[in-house]
Amino acid sequence: MAVKKFNRRTFIKAAAASGVVGSVPMYLSLADHKKVASEEPLKKVWSQCNGCASMCSKAVYSKNNRLWKVEGHPLHLKSGGRLCARGHGMAADVYNTSRVTQPMKRVGDTFEPISWEQAFSEIGEKLGKIVEEHKGDSVLWVEHGPRGKFYADILLDLIGSPNYCTHYSTCFTSKTNVWPKMVGDSLAADHENANYLLFVGRNFGGGIIPNGMNKIHKAIERGAKLVVVDPKYNEMAKIAHDWVPIRPGTDLAFYLGLAHTLISENLYDRNFVNRNVLGFSEFWEANKTASADWASEVTGIPADKIREIARDMAASAPKAILEPGWHGLNCHYVNSTQTAQMNVILNALVGNFYKIGGLYPGQDIPFGSVDRKMPPFKRKGERADGAGVKGKFPTVEPGRGIAQITPQLVEEGLIKAVFIYHYNPLRTAPNPEYQKKIKDAELVVVIPTDWNETAVHTAHYILPEDYYLERTETPRNNSGHLAHIYPQISIRAKALDPIHDTKPLREIVAGICEAMGYEGYFNFTIEDEVKAALSTVEGLTPERLYEEGTIEFTTHFMEGVPLEFKTSTKKINFKVPEYEANGFSGVPTWVPPATWPKEENEFRLIHGKQPWHSHSITANNPYLMAITKAYNGEWMWMNKVRADKLGIKNGDTVTVQSSVSTKQAKVKVTELVHPDCVWISNSYGNFSERQKDGYGVGVNFNDFLELQVEPMAGGTNSQEIIVKITKGVS
Amino acid sequence: MARYAMLIDASRCTGCGACRVACQMQHQLPPNMSFNRLEFRERGIFPTVKQEIVPVQCMHCDNPPCLHVCPTNATYKRSDGIVLVDHDKCIGCKYCMTACPYDARTLNEKRVPEKCKFCSEYVVQGQEPPCASTCMCSVRIFGDLDDPDSEISKAMAKKSVYQLIPEKGTRPRIYYVKK
Repeated sequence: MAVKKFNRRTFIKAAAASGVVGSVPMYLSLADHKKVASEEPLKKVWSQCNGCASMCSKAVYSKNNRLWKVEGHPLHLKSGGRLCARGHGMAADVYNTSRVTQPMKRVGDTFEPISWEQAFSEIGEKLGKIVEEHKGDSVLWVEHGPRGKFYADILLDLIGSPNYCTHYSTCFTSKTNVWPKMVGDSLAADHENANYLLFVGRNFGGGIIPNGMNKIHKAIERGAKLVVVDPKYNEMAKIAHDWVPIRPGTDLAFYLGLAHTLISENLYDRNFVNRNVLGFSEFWEANKTASADWASEVTGIPADKIREIARDMAASAPKAILEPGWHGLNCHYVNSTQTAQMNVILNALVGNFYKIGGLYPGQDIPFGSVDRKMPPFKRKGERADGAGVKGKFPTVEPGRGIAQITPQLVEEGLIKAVFIYHYNPLRTAPNPEYQKKIKDAELVVVIPTDWNETAVHTAHYILPEDYYLERTETPRNNSGHLAHIYPQISIRAKALDPIHDTKPLREIVAGICEAMGYEGYFNFTIEDEVKAALSTVEGLTPERLYEEGTIEFTTHFMEGVPLEFKTSTKKINFKVPEYEANGFSGVPTWVPPATWPKEENEFRLIHGKQPWHSHSITANNPYLMAITKAYNGEWMWMNKVRADKLGIKNGDTVTVQSSVSTKQAKVKVTELVHPDCVWISNSYGNFSERQKDGYGVGVNFNDFLELQVEPMAGGTNSQEIIVKITKGVS
Repeated sequence: MARYAMLIDASRCTGCGACRVACQMQHQLPPNMSFNRLEFRERGIFPTVKQEIVPVQCMHCDNPPCLHVCPTNATYKRSDGIVLVDHDKCIGCKYCMTACPYDARTLNEKRVPEKCKFCSEYVVQGQEPPCASTCMCSVRIFGDLDDPDSEISKAMAKKSVYQLIPEKGTRPRIYYVKK
């Protein structure tokens, strides 16, 4: 396919990025690596971090293939020259003793090493039989997403399976479901230029984007106001003008109260709404009684505070933003999709769309694709998980799927073969004991870098991928989360030679396809792919991108509301036709959470990120777990008034019981959390014995969570958990 | 001659620990050994509550108690103000650890009481210590107080500052922004 040439005028150079580093001395006091590097020159390669999904561009310094340290790329949108603890710590994980060092095959409850040839040939044969007996529809590829998609799609197209699935349903699915239907785009906030910043259930200081925090500090220095609404005093609350604790599960009511104030006091952007919005009057009709006073009753936030926030936002409009958010609130409750709808509506009411200091879309450049043999057309059946399927989950996006029900699909016999890439559902999806049933499929292939829970408890074969520092990948756009007027691209280049018998994903999928007899579909190298990707940009060579790591273009976003939106109605939909057509309310109205704590010893179990952990992927990192140890990071936060009533003191062990399981945890007694809930970091509760630093530390919210599917967007309802807490071990 | 110092704005710190791990990588320290730490404190009662975080490390004092008690002169102060430890002279008596009012020292695998070196080899080449350069909240400013154009000199001129435990007379080279 011919790709339109992207006109490059000039590149903005990362001036600070290409300094001379040859003479820097180096200290290798770690016993194993003391002598290896002393005489070698220092090598610097641009990679992209894998500690979370922000993929900060970073310089990797090494000598004689021994990693020394990493530094953030000064130009990269997410990094801004800075890296968080995870960025540094996860680089060192290349030497983690829990890495899978070669292909493994399950023998009973343990594993034996096998060669790549044997692995490919056995998997190819088994998969071939499954496809023959049950069709390609019985094969599922599930990954964090979407980094393996290009290669996974080749396999899925060859065998004729529609079942590509990401982890999104366990993370932020309401947000990504709502924006395309309501706005036709995904807009990011321009924090640096906004005058009023409202963060609800979102925390750049915990789920870190380094340059995001940097931009917020800059906005505050310039005089912007930051308000943080969260049941927990999170890291951003510390630097905010106002921390507004909210009863967990009631954010939707808070949003409705804000909207009511904006509309009833005539503070909203009438011009913007009249010109661009469909369904405003239906929304207002449905929510006329949802006043700030009503919202105050539900949320526990004083009505005057709700009105103050709405009026302050209006006063700063259009340079006022309600941060569109990510994980927080977007798969947490039965009302998460309505909450996500309200996020769009509030931003629209202050008219900040496509504005500097408001929200605007990520600026991307189109990449080319490698010239390759395409799989022949094969008929594909309906998705096994029912995403996008009439009568099942018609409004859930089929491109992302419903990851948490994989064991159910295996149990029902719909899925016979499961491929799990860069994803650990046994720790990050609800009810791990149930997730273990994934193992009952006829074939389970796990492609990790380390012995995570999913590998240990479900894999029939483990095919270890190269660590991220050991592989080159195709370039990516850096857009998302933070608005930036210029497009940027970055590349992850191989900084270290692989130290174990591991392979890049491309070779793993190619090996399986070839073993099944599909020849010639991977006749390209990663260098071919990089070159093809950049073929759309005149004059930009792979060498130049490798040298600079991140490149910024001078073409840029210009303010201006589009004449037409990319929605089904070409307008911004306050009333979503796709929801209405499938039996849901098109406009959001108040939906209470499905569960409430009632008894004196009952709490809602909520979770969030701790700044030095991402999620399960960092939970066995020795450097990051040492921070956990230093600050009791795995303890469960409980409000002091509630703790006093139950006779619980700081550091006490308690028994935590839900409908799913009973476990013990240590308690941090604090004033920094809402009395209705207990809070834990989402990173702990590692139960893979092959991960010595994480194993047995703390508990995880998924331990206590029933398997659920929120019907509109497919979320897990991950905070619809009520736990009973008793002092001591019982 | 340079006069190295650091200015810490604790009010900007959100406690992410990047300074700790960046330093550990720079000096290739094992996971449980750190040259800097954070002290957390809560003030008030829900919902009117504040959290304070104070980053602490070797203060490179102008009157360093650790240096005065060292029986072998292993601890010494460079002319630019950086306090360092000569590993060959150290006999591991740990007097310095007891004498330091900031609890800034930690034993390395050879039982030498180690500490923050203000990245002595790197700063003379004009590099910034990674605890400062990696910080997303720009909590730390490192620089030369004898250079009136340095970022730290300019910031010190604008802001009122304090030092930790001044009553000990240690005259630290680390200053904190007063809010």
